[in-house]
Amino acid sequence: MRKLICFFLMLLLILPVFAGGKKEKAVEGPTVIKVWFHSGKGEEREVLDAQVKEFNSMQNEVRVDPVRLPEGSYNEQVSAATLSGDLPDLLDFDGPNLYNYAWAGHLIPLDPYISEELKNDLLPSILQQGTYGGKIYALGTFDSGLAIWGNREYLEKAGVRIPNGIDDPWDFKEFKEALEKLQALPETEYVIDFKLNYGQGEWYTYGFSPIIQSFGGDLIDRSDYQSAGGVLNGPEAVKAMEWFQSLFEEGYSIIRPPGDDDFYGKKIAALSWVGHWMWQPHRNGLGDNLVLIPMPKLGDRAVTGMGSWCWGITSQSKNPEAAWKFLSYLMQPSQILFMTNANGAVPSRKSALAKSELYGEGGPLQIFADQLRGGVAVPRPITPAYPTITQAFAEAVQNIITGGNVKEELDKAVQKIDQDIKDNEGYPIPE
Amino acid sequence: MSDQTTQKGTVLKGRNTLQAHKKKEAVAAWLFSAPALTLLLVFLIVPFILAFYFSLTNQRLIPNPNLPTRIIGLTNYIRLLSDSTFHRAILNNFYFAGVVVPVQTSFALGLAMLVNKKLKFKNLFRTIYFSPVVTAMVVVAIVWGFLFNPTDRGFINRLLQSITFGNVQPLEWLHDPKLALPAIMILSIWQGVGFQMIIYLAGLQDIPNELYESARVDGANSWQQFFNVTIPQLRNTTIFVAISTTILAFKLFTQVWVLTQGGPMESTMTTMVLLYRQGFRQLRVGYASAIAVIFFLIVLAVSLIQKLIMKEERAVS
Repeated sequence: MRKLICFFLMLLLILPVFAGGKKEKAVEGPTVIKVWFHSGKGEEREVLDAQVKEFNSMQNEVRVDPVRLPEGSYNEQVSAATLSGDLPDLLDFDGPNLYNYAWAGHLIPLDPYISEELKNDLLPSILQQGTYGGKIYALGTFDSGLAIWGNREYLEKAGVRIPNGIDDPWDFKEFKEALEKLQALPETEYVIDFKLNYGQGEWYTYGFSPIIQSFGGDLIDRSDYQSAGGVLNGPEAVKAMEWFQSLFEEGYSIIRPPGDDDFYGKKIAALSWVGHWMWQPHRNGLGDNLVLIPMPKLGDRAVTGMGSWCWGITSQSKNPEAAWKFLSYLMQPSQILFMTNANGAVPSRKSALAKSELYGEGGPLQIFADQLRGGVAVPRPITPAYPTITQAFAEAVQNIITGGNVKEELDKAVQKIDQDIKDNEGYPIPE
Repeated sequence: MSDQTTQKGTVLKGRNTLQAHKKKEAVAAWLFSAPALTLLLVFLIVPFILAFYFSLTNQRLIPNPNLPTRIIGLTNYIRLLSDSTFHRAILNNFYFAGVVVPVQTSFALGLAMLVNKKLKFKNLFRTIYFSPVVTAMVVVAIVWGFLFNPTDRGFINRLLQSITFGNVQPLEWLHDPKLALPAIMILSIWQGVGFQMIIYLAGLQDIPNELYESARVDGANSWQQFFNVTIPQLRNTTIFVAISTTILAFKLFTQVWVLTQGGPMESTMTTMVLLYRQGFRQLRVGYASAIAVIFFLIVLAVSLIQKLIMKEERAVS
């Protein structure tokens, strides 16, 4: 008898290991779609919550079942879900991570769903970064902008011309002279804050690859995405990075800013090289002294970054139409404005852009929108090799600004990137 | 004659029952260890075998059906040998363990001796020293991140300035390649020392008082008592503490990931951080698995060597 009890106790202990996997009963009623998104900034999350709620209550065909995942490890969790086959119907991606999923067939092309009208209304940058292998895999409700913020008082005192818009940016010589003049001001300890307090990571690629591109180089040869050789370590890229390195060596910028607010709080820097997300703190700190300066023409053309979070429908979804229904709701101009008025990002549709107080005609951040519309913005490399490219480039940038040999560091980055592409047999684009 | 047979029968029967009893005991033993064994199998042994298999392949985190996973032999291992980041990670692990294990162990012993004294509020002190252990490492790391603020407003920089009368300039701690790993050592020791303290405390209370009494009768002072009674009596405790701290030190990940993610300039790169980065950020599960296998062998070797050097005294019954 005691043995029997023992056995059952044992069984009870083991059972939970094998339990689980209950079968779900099919329920009549609305189609339920699972939606994953990153739990971002407070305002962003609140808007999305409100949108899910409104969407669920305004119709009864599709019910959205939202799951918020912490932003810090969002990409890792999505990748792991891919391996275990647990992807939801609809989810959002951090910019260039999208291509890996599209390449491996985990996303469906959205082309059949996108109307001509919607397509013509989207910012070209949204289409560019959402397209892989000739098909559109993702749409964003907002985009990002990168330019130079300036302190008007310092600029005027130093006698530096403030460009009006993207048609008359500084060229290399003018930028150089501006740095020299601003450095001479007694108010500045250094001239330009490159936000290195963000630390080595995606910021380095987003913020500093435009420098290489403006000089005429790039992160990879975009004709076939097979090699970075001769491009990332070519003469233009080396020249660009040597110039960037010299900014730190000659004291125009510092590698370790003590905090975030040298430009807008302590006002010991005259310029800040950073994106649209700093609008609020900059505005609060500098008031009417804040000016937005378009990206300079360091070489033949001015270049800036683009890209933000965007939505894609997975190939595991049994109800892509239902998922699209929710996505197209999010893509309505009014919903886009609802989101961008809250998080301050650039609205992804021209019709929404026109109505935006910040980015519309005459708005304080119009330059960001102009850069995205006017071909100044360049997408980060559209290839599944992107995780390796960004890691290798960020490492090279870190070593270069701390005094490494530019050519050697870029050679190392090229070697890592090319190795990764070779390991994956050139990342053949699916038919 | 008949008497003899019966006797023989009883002996045989006795032997049979003994064997049957042993067999029953074996069954019970297996049954009782079954839950633990199942869990070990599912969460440790199977994953390890899988990791070993993956390490011989080019498995990606995001699988591509058009480009199936292939077995690529020892390529991952050969590449690891020439990966300078991996070398740096291993060196950092040894540096970290080399500092943290002796320092943390001595601190733990010191604290244990302190709270073992007949002090007022001794339970309060025990609780205070133990409280970092029950605090989640992520929380500890974030709080220390604030304390290590690189400006002169940072708590630790202020403290250094006031005790040196302003002779120390604000240190950049987590942003300085030379100071980042030591900064992480400091917070790791602070967080972990309470656990070892409790183990030492148990060890201290196990030492029979007669040993101290006779030592005192022989005229030993407190130092002599400490070196000739306490330390030898704590031998097994010390071995356990040293080995478990070593293994924990090699697993260094959370605090680094929260505070520096391996930077600046790989100065805080550890094997675990590299493994996570390769596997989850760069999607190279095969390569990350190779790191895991090599790492396992290194930790195994270190613990075996430690055990050999500090031969444990086993109680012989």
